[in-house]
Amino acid sequence: MSPVPLIQVRELVKDFDGQRVLAGVNLDIMEGGIKVVMGPSGCGKSTLLRCLNRLVEPTSGTIHLRGQLVTGAGVDVRALRQGIGFVFQQFALYRHLTVLDNVSLALRKLRGMRRLEAEQKAMYELARLDMAAHRDKYPGQISGGQKQRVALARALAMDPAVVVMDEPTSALDPLLTREVAQLIQRLHGEKVTLLCVTHDVLLARSITEQVVFLDRGVVRAEGSIEHLSSAHPDALIRDFFGRESGA
Amino acid sequence: MTGGWPAFCRDLLEQFPLIFTGLVQTLRLTAIISLTGLLGGIVVLYLTLSRSPIVRRLTQAYISFFIGMPLIVLLFLLYYGLPQWGIRLSPFVVAVVGFTLNVAAYNAAYLTSAYNGLEQTELEAGRAQGFSHRQVFALLTLPQVLRMSVPALTNQVILNLKDSTLAFLIQYTEFFARIQELASTNFQFFKAYALAALVYLLLVSAIVLAARAVEKRVIIPGLLG
Amino acid sequence: MNFLDILALLARGAGYTVLVTLACSATGLIVGLAIATLRRLRLPVVLPLLDVYTYVFRGIPVLVLLFIVYFGLPGIGLKVPPLLSMVLSLGLIAGAYLAEVFRGALESVDAAEILAAQASGLGRLQVLALIELPQMLRFAVPGMVNEFTTVLKYSPFAYTVGLPEITKQATTLTATTQRGLEIYLAVGLMYFAVFRILLIAVRWIERRYRVPGMVPA
Repeated sequence: MSPVPLIQVRELVKDFDGQRVLAGVNLDIMEGGIKVVMGPSGCGKSTLLRCLNRLVEPTSGTIHLRGQLVTGAGVDVRALRQGIGFVFQQFALYRHLTVLDNVSLALRKLRGMRRLEAEQKAMYELARLDMAAHRDKYPGQISGGQKQRVALARALAMDPAVVVMDEPTSALDPLLTREVAQLIQRLHGEKVTLLCVTHDVLLARSITEQVVFLDRGVVRAEGSIEHLSSAHPDALIRDFFGRESGA
Repeated sequence: MTGGWPAFCRDLLEQFPLIFTGLVQTLRLTAIISLTGLLGGIVVLYLTLSRSPIVRRLTQAYISFFIGMPLIVLLFLLYYGLPQWGIRLSPFVVAVVGFTLNVAAYNAAYLTSAYNGLEQTELEAGRAQGFSHRQVFALLTLPQVLRMSVPALTNQVILNLKDSTLAFLIQYTEFFARIQELASTNFQFFKAYALAALVYLLLVSAIVLAARAVEKRVIIPGLLG
Repeated sequence: MNFLDILALLARGAGYTVLVTLACSATGLIVGLAIATLRRLRLPVVLPLLDVYTYVFRGIPVLVLLFIVYFGLPGIGLKVPPLLSMVLSLGLIAGAYLAEVFRGALESVDAAEILAAQASGLGRLQVLALIELPQMLRFAVPGMVNEFTTVLKYSPFAYTVGLPEITKQATTLTATTQRGLEIYLAVGLMYFAVFRILLIAVRWIERRYRVPGMVPA
């Protein structure tokens, strides 16, 4: 294992109209690792994710991917984005394209693959997520959980360095939380590097014990949920993690 | 004057080849301006989504100017105004240019309002995958916006057909101009114009039927509204 | 002759332009309302007739209908003056389009409110006049503005039947001065000005009658 993290975020700051959303975030993600970032809504989780692939331009601070600086000028942003698989909160599938085309579009248009080759690769990813049978359906014809799998397949098809998931359970029925956690763990088992932000303690618990707690734009705490919910000196943090500890 | 059917029918038959070429001209003009107007509308939509505020401003000004100006005034400006600068365009060219400027503005307005109904996160997802500004437009924005605008766009084709009668006011010899000639040979204006109305009505009906077929074909399964 | 002189000469036609626009818009409004109301009453024989009317009048070019009325009707013994010809062509066509606008707006009136009104003992016509139309007219404002704008933009056709409105002044002026470029640019500006003024008037009326918090159902 390389001692250098796959992704290294240092002193990341983002201001929106004079409002500080990220106030110096530090975060490391190891190759093949899984990182769960938690925090109340408005803590800057989504902004942090969007800084990684520069959908949002950080105000200051640095991000390194595989030791390469990816913030600032002179970076090939489109290449960077291709290397980060992003799964949106509402999944954001392209509504006018079939499941298969959703997954193969970027392979064809960005990787320059021929249709046949792209579709083979796309089918491989869909099969991996048990969605092969739905290849010809449109996003409007499948359930939320299925949309999420297609969105994951779309991200995985590009063989990204990391898969980023923004609130993977918020658009789904709460009953599906465990299923989502199993899916994430399966990918983890297949050596996919994962970064997941969520406010869902139940989901976090089912994925991993170690979490990062983000609040008001900085990492306030890091450690096991067990510890954060019972032994952390800050009552607010104990409260946040204690909410659903019984579940 | 309610009579005169034999004379009218005789003249109609006699002039039928001319009237028919007029009809072809009308259909040709309608087809051309519908196409150029659609392409123009797409270009204008692309410009309204520009990242440069100046380009966006100018495009907005273009749309509101050409939507606010009566088409006939625009045609007269091109046909009777430009010669002052030594630019003499044929009636056909004036019609194509004038209509295209006007129709593109309308189509751009329809497309823009469809764009406002798009899921913005889908476009963000496109950027997140690494697509360029232009690729997001061509692969994600345009296919959806065009589908959503089919009713408005086909309605514009109907308007184009009906408005093509304006071309006769700048001496373009399309269908209505030929009907005019027919009427002036036997002074049976009512019959001639009623015939014209009937022909336009039939053509409009044909477009309506075609539009319904197109609408059915481009519908995205599982998508409401 | 400078640009201001041109504007001043054209302005003489502006009154006629406004007259034609208002006359045709008013006709369209009355016809459109009548059709929408009759349709709402669901009278068996009338319904198909209304459909035919809206279909035919939306399918015929304004210019063709205008020529039928002004040049064609005298042939069968009906001489129609220019302004009335505009009303019977542009006005009736606007009526067909407005009928469709009103049809859509009527569908936005909450069905439960209509039921409630009927339950309280109001007759069908009373429900229409007291509940449906007042709401519908407010929902229909954008569509109405759109149609009135269209009427304004077709009002130049009045020159073909000899009404001395803006475009007629322009053709005369162009024939005598050969300065079509400035003249038609001025005409364009003038229509834009009339358009803005009418828009302000409509907005004022709309705000005057706006019901706070009411949205289409």
